Amino acid sequence: MSFWLDQALAQAELSNDCLAEHRAKSLEALRATPWPTRKTEAWRYTPLLSLDNSVIDEPNDNIDYPGSPEGVELIELFFVNGKLQSNINVAVEGLTIASLDNLNDEQQAVAKTVCQSAKPSRHLFGMVNDVLAKQGVLISVADGSDIKPIIRLVHLQNGGQSHVRHLIKLGQGAKVSVIEEYRGEQSFVATSFSEFDLGDDAVLNHYRFGLQTGAAKALAGCHFNLANRSQMHSTLVSFGSVLSRLDVDINHAGEHALATQNAIYLLADKELFDLHSNVEHMQPHGTTEENVRGIIGDSAKAVFNGRIHIHRYAQKTLAELNNRNLLLTPKAEINTKPELEIYADDVKCAHGATVAELDNKALYYLRSRGVSEQDARIMLNFGFINELIEQMPAEPLCEWLQGELRTRFGDLRTQLSVEG
Amino acid sequence: MTSKQLLTVKGLQAKVDEKDILKGLDLDVKPGEVHAIMGPNGAGKSTFGYVLSGRDGYEITGGEVVLDGKDITEMDIEERARAGLFLAFQYPVEIPGVSNLEFLKAAVDAHREAQGLEPLSSKDFLKEAREASKKVNLPAEFLKRGVNEGFSGGEKKRNEIMQMLLLKPKLCILDESDSGLDIDALQVVAEGVNSMRDGERSFIVVTHYQRLLDYIKPDYVHVLSDGKIVKSGDASLALELEAQGYSWLAEMREADPEEMHREVSE
Amino acid sequence: MTEEIDKALARKYEAGFVSAIESETFPPGLDEEVIRKISAMKNEPQWMLDWRLKAFAAWQEMETPDWAHLNFPVINYQDISYYSAPKSMADKPKSLDEVDPELLRTYEKLGIPLIEQQMLAGIAVDAVFDSVSVVTTFRDKLEEAGVIFCPISEAVHKYPELVKKYLGSVVPQKDNYFAALNCAVFTDGSFVYIPKGVRCPMELSTYFRINEQNTGQFERTLIVADEGSYVSYLEGCTAPQRDENQLHAAVVELVAMDNAEIKYSTVQNWYPGDEEGRGGIYNFVTKRGICHTNAKISWTQVETGSAITWKYPSCVLKGDNSVGEFYSVALTRGKQQADTGTKMIHLGKNTRSTIISKGISAGRSNNAYRGLVRMNPGADKARNFTQCDSLLIGDQCGAHTFPYVESRNPSAIVEHEATTSKVSDDQLFLCQQRGLDPEKAVSMIVNGFCKEVFKELPMEFAVEAGKLLEISLEGSVG
Ligand SMILES: Nc1ncnc2c1ncn2[C@@H]1O[C@H](COP(=O)(O)OP(=O)(O)OP(=O)(O)O)[C@@H](O)[C@H]1O
Ligand SMILES: [Mg+2]
Repeated sequence: MSFWLDQALAQAELSNDCLAEHRAKSLEALRATPWPTRKTEAWRYTPLLSLDNSVIDEPNDNIDYPGSPEGVELIELFFVNGKLQSNINVAVEGLTIASLDNLNDEQQAVAKTVCQSAKPSRHLFGMVNDVLAKQGVLISVADGSDIKPIIRLVHLQNGGQSHVRHLIKLGQGAKVSVIEEYRGEQSFVATSFSEFDLGDDAVLNHYRFGLQTGAAKALAGCHFNLANRSQMHSTLVSFGSVLSRLDVDINHAGEHALATQNAIYLLADKELFDLHSNVEHMQPHGTTEENVRGIIGDSAKAVFNGRIHIHRYAQKTLAELNNRNLLLTPKAEINTKPELEIYADDVKCAHGATVAELDNKALYYLRSRGVSEQDARIMLNFGFINELIEQMPAEPLCEWLQGELRTRFGDLRTQLSVEG
Repeated sequence: MTSKQLLTVKGLQAKVDEKDILKGLDLDVKPGEVHAIMGPNGAGKSTFGYVLSGRDGYEITGGEVVLDGKDITEMDIEERARAGLFLAFQYPVEIPGVSNLEFLKAAVDAHREAQGLEPLSSKDFLKEAREASKKVNLPAEFLKRGVNEGFSGGEKKRNEIMQMLLLKPKLCILDESDSGLDIDALQVVAEGVNSMRDGERSFIVVTHYQRLLDYIKPDYVHVLSDGKIVKSGDASLALELEAQGYSWLAEMREADPEEMHREVSE
Repeated sequence: MTEEIDKALARKYEAGFVSAIESETFPPGLDEEVIRKISAMKNEPQWMLDWRLKAFAAWQEMETPDWAHLNFPVINYQDISYYSAPKSMADKPKSLDEVDPELLRTYEKLGIPLIEQQMLAGIAVDAVFDSVSVVTTFRDKLEEAGVIFCPISEAVHKYPELVKKYLGSVVPQKDNYFAALNCAVFTDGSFVYIPKGVRCPMELSTYFRINEQNTGQFERTLIVADEGSYVSYLEGCTAPQRDENQLHAAVVELVAMDNAEIKYSTVQNWYPGDEEGRGGIYNFVTKRGICHTNAKISWTQVETGSAITWKYPSCVLKGDNSVGEFYSVALTRGKQQADTGTKMIHLGKNTRSTIISKGISAGRSNNAYRGLVRMNPGADKARNFTQCDSLLIGDQCGAHTFPYVESRNPSAIVEHEATTSKVSDDQLFLCQQRGLDPEKAVSMIVNGFCKEVFKELPMEFAVEAGKLLEISLEGSVG
């Protein structure tokens, strides 16, 4: 058992809100779950020692707000150290956003159906979040509503512990774009989980920018339920930190659903990042396409586990997963495991994983035009990531994010130039 | 008549993967000249371009290469490029994710820096790039796409010529820039080359076909075979080759006792 | 269409007969006493017994691994007999003429004549029947070349220094649960030593046969290829058709010294159980080789038998420029379960590995590829290429892929690809339209799917493997 978990649970107050039942159930399950060790498959490469061993910084309100992407209409909500900063004041037809600690009866009913519907119970920190998260929002999009502004949920933290849960429901044919953004580099613990429930024909554009780094201990999850003909397009961008873990679940609960997911990780120093992605095809005619790319520098470590599970009934599924990695230094490390579990025969499934060097031909081409080797390497590394960024549906977001990434590449600059 | 040389290649020998490809190649190029190199498949034409550009894995085992008075054999790829050597590739590589524009600006700025010039402002650069793309008939959108990403064969070749226009090299080596082009594109390539002819800039044009040479008039035509220049002449040689093919090369080889000796001893 | 394929797949197990051979068999049960008795039966020196007892002590502390994608009841190790030998072997036959004719007939029926005159020239065979080696052929001819090929029980006596040096050097006693058990109770198996610079003049082959009821087979193979030598080794196995499950837990160790090459091929055809999953062999095997500088180890396997297969032939690429290869065809049907693959551990510079795995699942079977490719910090410029393809036949089976890739060297390149497909109606239609019956069509398509692996097998084995698949796909369409 973990000292951190004991303490965290000791502080849990089982308040009597609409999610109380969910909390109680998870608390019980959590107590019966052994603390992961190296032998626990889901935590094989990711030690949790830092949770018990590090001193947590005192949180304070003196925090810098990041700039906003320009050229897009945004609805922005800021969470500082796990607390929503202002009242929610949204007047968009068909869109409801409400703080979890302030839901009316109708909203409570929605929250109850979404909570723990997409997130499976096996995620340890998901259960912790079940029990402890009191903050977060319910976003509900009415049937047929196409919400133009992008909802941006910004989370800033500089100490302490935070547990935030977002529940997002898209009615039939509803369309919405949601950005989850997480920042902070001090020593803190954050569990951040969100669940998305898509109705028939709904379309979700999802962005998750997990930019926590340094001493942050970030344990997170994104979970999606897809009903008939619904579509999700998700982009995940992650930096690493002392401990960063993201669990993603995509459930094809309806037929003819489409999921595309692009994920990027960019690691430096002694950072760790662990992405576990799981796709459940439970119904026929589903399509999933996942592209995961990482650049790992210094003595950072990346972990990727990408599972695709095709159930017996899910005939005519198309599923593809591709993971590519670049190691920059002799101390950098990647552990990747794409998994296929297939029980239906009339499906097309493939996965691939590579760890490689930069393309020598491309390097030669750039240099033959007079670009220095160092610049050529940086350009190619950036291009490797940028290929996925450019697929994001919102172009202004693209430019904003490219700026963020260039800063990160600046930090990696010296390593990008050394060969092997 | 000037006696100054832009490029002097003497007895150049080179190998790839332990295989000897260039076997004593001689070539002199004076400023302003256009040289055409022809020759059968596998003769070593592309290899010659790669060796001049300094590509890794192409090892010089003998001879010398002097560009504009400087021995370039020990120079890095990018140094040679900045010294004014440009190679338009037979098969340009695709680099997804790296935008053409970003790449071109980096290349142009690197060239300017080598000449002691300030980097171009983004605005000025964009203007030049747009003009260049117009000259080679590539829509401006291509500037935003990844380098050669998803370009058709002909578009790739035009992109190469556009880069040549922007980088203003002293010596341009065009490796089959005419293959895979339709008639209009062929003219675009030729016009690109001709517009750059200024009496100083020189060209080495590798081609299999006379038709490009109809547009770009060569001063000399050389036949490269088995790693050596085996015959040189003026523009009329190309016409001769077009008519005769390369079968005469075999006869020539039979008559070459050294060659026979080598084959026997193997 | 699927129904036709199913029928086409209904196979008969041709090696399922029982030989009437009088045997001396230990009563079921496992404790230190049993191990002492096995050791005594073999007249082993003290060091060998001590080695066994140490392994047994370790095994008792260990737990059955549960990470594989397999489902099977708890094995009761006290219900198994750990030693069984034909009575006729009690006083070792000196030559083939003294071997029990019934034994020879058994092997003949399996297509492995042991009379040298009748044999395919160029293959020497060690025949292991239940717990003992009954015959090793062509020994004189091999001795001429300096090659040692004999039962491992004999090697313990005749070449104790070699055995002591290499036994357990690649698969340590405590490596895993089944390997530890094997160390404690192994009864026989083959020992091969190829001296420096020798190219083994013929293919070496061991043929394993389980005959007795309620016995387990625990054989141990050790192959040492000294510097600059070459050997190609083939392994085959069968067992009678019985309703209860039988345990087979083997260990194979390969040592390829500098510039040596070992080619190890297996056609595994243990009894797979019936359509309902009754009976069949539980096949838990540890196979591993170590490659020194410039050495090469190549594993090729065709796995069609066993109720359960748990097997990961691996290479430790220790020396610079060493090469590891793994070519596998695994076919499961009925209720068979296979969890098989390989581990390529790259330690040296410029090490190279290739993995080609073809899984075919039919009926209600489950077929999993599980592999590990690890690039250690010292593995500069190392390369791996992995291709895993699964073919599903019918909608009641499962095909799974679990590749682990771990890299800690920026100059190493790892490429892994996996695909799944089915025998499509279009393919079948095309073949039938050209006049082939569905059975032949399926067999052709499956053979094509496996071609890359079959071409790695020595000729005789390739033929056998092809036949095996054909038999598997036989049963004819009405
Ligand atoms: N990496 C390599 N390894 C071995 N041989 C090579 C390699 N690269 C080129 N070659 C060989 O070198 C010879 C010359 O090739 P090169 O591409 O220079 O010919 P070319 O004259 O340009 O032919 P083409 O007219 O077909 O373009 C060929 O025989 C080719 O196969
Ligand atoms: Mg060429």
